[in-house]
Amino acid sequence: MPSTALFLPSCMMLIFFVLLYPVLTTFNPDPLSPNWALSKTKTAIKLAFFISLFPLFLLFDQGTETTITTWSWTNTLTFDINISFKFDTYSCIFTPVALYVTWSILEFASWYMHSDPKMNRFFKYLLVFLIAMIILVTANNMFQLFIGWEGVGIMSFLLIGWWYGRADANTAALQAVLYNRIGDIGLILMMAWTATRLNSWDLQQLFSLSDNYNLTLPLLGLILAATGKSAQFGLHPWLPSAMEGPTPVSALLHSSTMVVAGIFLLIRLSPMLENNKTALTTCLCLGALTTLFTAICALTQNDIKKIVAFSTSSQLGLMMVTIGLNQPQLAFLHICTHAFFKAMLFLCSGSIIHSLNDEQDIRKMGGMHHLAPLTSSCLTIGSLALTGTPFLAGFFSKDAIIEALNTSYLNAWALILTLIATSFTAVYSLRIVFFVSMGHPRFNPLSPINENNPAVINPIKRLAWGSIVAGLLITSNTLPLNTPPMTMPTPLKLAALIVTLLGLFTALELSTLSSKQFKQFKQTPTLHHFSNMLGFFPHIMHRLIPQTNLVLGQAIATQTIDQTWLEKSGPKATYSLSLRPITTTSNIQQGMIKTYLSLFFFTSLLALALFLF
Amino acid sequence: MRTSHSVRQQQPVNMAGVGFQRLVKALAKSKGSGLSVLASGCRAASGATKGSLPGPFPKTPEERAAAAKKYNLRVEDYEPFPDNGEGYGDYPKLPDRSQHERDPWYQWDHPDLRRNWGEPMHWNFDMYIRNRVDTSPSPVPWSSMWKQLFGFIGFMLFMFYMGEKLPSYQPIAPKQYPYNNLYLEKGGDPAKAPKEVKNYEI
Amino acid sequence: MSSFGRAFGVLRAGTGLLRQGPGRITSRKASGGPHIEPQYRQYPQLTKNQKFESELISGAMWFWILWHFWHDPDAVLGHFPWPDSSAWTDEELGIPPDDEQ
Repeated sequence: MPSTALFLPSCMMLIFFVLLYPVLTTFNPDPLSPNWALSKTKTAIKLAFFISLFPLFLLFDQGTETTITTWSWTNTLTFDINISFKFDTYSCIFTPVALYVTWSILEFASWYMHSDPKMNRFFKYLLVFLIAMIILVTANNMFQLFIGWEGVGIMSFLLIGWWYGRADANTAALQAVLYNRIGDIGLILMMAWTATRLNSWDLQQLFSLSDNYNLTLPLLGLILAATGKSAQFGLHPWLPSAMEGPTPVSALLHSSTMVVAGIFLLIRLSPMLENNKTALTTCLCLGALTTLFTAICALTQNDIKKIVAFSTSSQLGLMMVTIGLNQPQLAFLHICTHAFFKAMLFLCSGSIIHSLNDEQDIRKMGGMHHLAPLTSSCLTIGSLALTGTPFLAGFFSKDAIIEALNTSYLNAWALILTLIATSFTAVYSLRIVFFVSMGHPRFNPLSPINENNPAVINPIKRLAWGSIVAGLLITSNTLPLNTPPMTMPTPLKLAALIVTLLGLFTALELSTLSSKQFKQFKQTPTLHHFSNMLGFFPHIMHRLIPQTNLVLGQAIATQTIDQTWLEKSGPKATYSLSLRPITTTSNIQQGMIKTYLSLFFFTSLLALALFLF
Repeated sequence: MRTSHSVRQQQPVNMAGVGFQRLVKALAKSKGSGLSVLASGCRAASGATKGSLPGPFPKTPEERAAAAKKYNLRVEDYEPFPDNGEGYGDYPKLPDRSQHERDPWYQWDHPDLRRNWGEPMHWNFDMYIRNRVDTSPSPVPWSSMWKQLFGFIGFMLFMFYMGEKLPSYQPIAPKQYPYNNLYLEKGGDPAKAPKEVKNYEI
Repeated sequence: MSSFGRAFGVLRAGTGLLRQGPGRITSRKASGGPHIEPQYRQYPQLTKNQKFESELISGAMWFWILWHFWHDPDAVLGHFPWPDSSAWTDEELGIPPDDEQ
């Protein structure tokens, strides 16, 4: 139908223009009104969300997908870079989800950041970040994708370092930007490889031309890129450190949108990935290791935001496992459902943190169920959705992933790790609920507890409804590309639920144990230290690698090489070389007329010889 | 850069860099004493100014005291680098502690760097600023942390290798073996061996 | 979704809640900001509406879960039973009896 083919791109373009408009208004030299953040930014995102529903409904109803190429950006001989957008299932579903989540988070931020003197700038950063994200999602060639990729990276740097007066925030921002740069090496490697071998950055051409090549090297580069951006094991420490940023930033960037960009990249390029066994196995093992390691770290953290951050990292590992299973659509589904409840968990923790005088330690919370009923209800819903309670949002993706894991031919250890990590999800989720909502209050008696503000309640409620129904809505309206396994033995079908319940009961048992007094038994703090100190990874890596580099750099560059240049081949060498001739020539000239005459004679003889021969 | 910030000159301290002096000495040895006068008159063509460079390695207690005073250190705290020709001169060898390890609540002159004015700088100060290497003590000793982390990673890699050798999958039918499903090998009675099932014919 | 909340919000705060405009934050309470006066050793200011909404959303979640469990247990328990190949008879598989030549 020609009208839908026109309608879809115009809607998407309209979204871009609606979102760009508030950014353009900031070019006006007049100072922005203090209401700019809400009246322009939030309204624009809300409007863009409603516009983005039209393509979504078209997609659900008719399966409309389209690719438009508008303008040839630059070309060198046969290598074209066009502005080209792809509106397929992934971008049509992800855009409304991202807009919905951002809308809620911005509304929440208007309360959370209320006393911040630069709130307008904060909102502008968030908006620019969102635009970069949508560019990334809709990109149809690697160049455009790279713009979005770097855009979200730099906005994340600016937003983590929002409270730049604190050295911790600065360090966290630097960590984020450095770890992402390591990932970018991989992405640039892959882009350079495709540009030289395939002579194209267009996605369709990449897919069709890459069949005859051994793709292991560029795919490993791609996996490195995803490792950096999606905080997989090895490049993960920046994600928990990023919690130094304001809570709305954590909610938007580090749970629901930016960190999934790495996974999204792999989903986008999954046609290249699906025939390469090495790359898939790497993804599988890397994801499994990530999901377990970060779940272990989450178990003993006491900072509420750190727990949620580690659970994000763990879920990202699960998505990576799904990519490794060659089920990109399931990974995408998990991205979408995860966005709702993870954003909501962050908003709830932000509301609680604010209500308790910026207290982030869960040991100093408690009893919030009676004091802030709505927030703690939503916290519980989010935790339940995260653990994969049947029919909440997380279930539809998580259960499908575990089923696919159970029925596939795969690395047994990866399967075991993923199942263990799934049961750990229940443990740390229950831990949050147990410490925050239940029990007696353990906080300061002077606390400004107040969730009685529409700017707090509405976003949380909106996301809570989303995390209840989103899973079913998305799964029932999209057509899976791979046939999901429908028949399997009952233990396998129930595996996800069983391991989750196992974790839940273990955690309950342990928590009731801890609320009673028992005689002191022998402490084994080794495991606790391993978990509580993030597996020692930041301690070791952040000390070993910079120290080695800097000490070696000092010894090699500054001392050895510089001193060699200075003393052995540079100025001082010239000095010592010329010293002897200088001494000789000057010692001759001591006012003896015979010496001068003989010198004159020899010189003329030499000149004559030159002249004659 | 390092020395020019750190050394607050209180008295004009003698001479150019150590390396330079050594060179001069080497030259002077071969050429006799007339030359050293000539050499000390000229200055190095490059590098920091004489005043901001570390002085020669202190040999006598008086020189030590003077060097310690120059670097705003007490004599008992002052410990120069060993004089093995690497050009450290009289620069003090400070303990390898990062700035982040210092007391965050103390009223530092420069709270962001946790540093007082005129304090001697570590030779590797650029390494020990607050967002680089952190040497804060940890509850677990370094060697044990190191072993646990790399042990964990090594164990995981080994198990992934094993998992690759022994993959997990859902079999559709029970596994079949040759020789009548290994009847004899499993300890079956040879007398009562069932007839071999033949599923094919060639 | 939020219209639910807004509808009940009328009960509590009158028209103040309904105003979704940008000026909402700056002109809210007597204290002038979005934050109320901290309460010292006192129960925080809770409204009935808050309690009701928290009950509502938790109830909605349980309703959603149980309703689907009732109508669609297959999603949890498995859509189709795992075929038990040992129970299949030769007749079903169309294999002729062994003695037939």
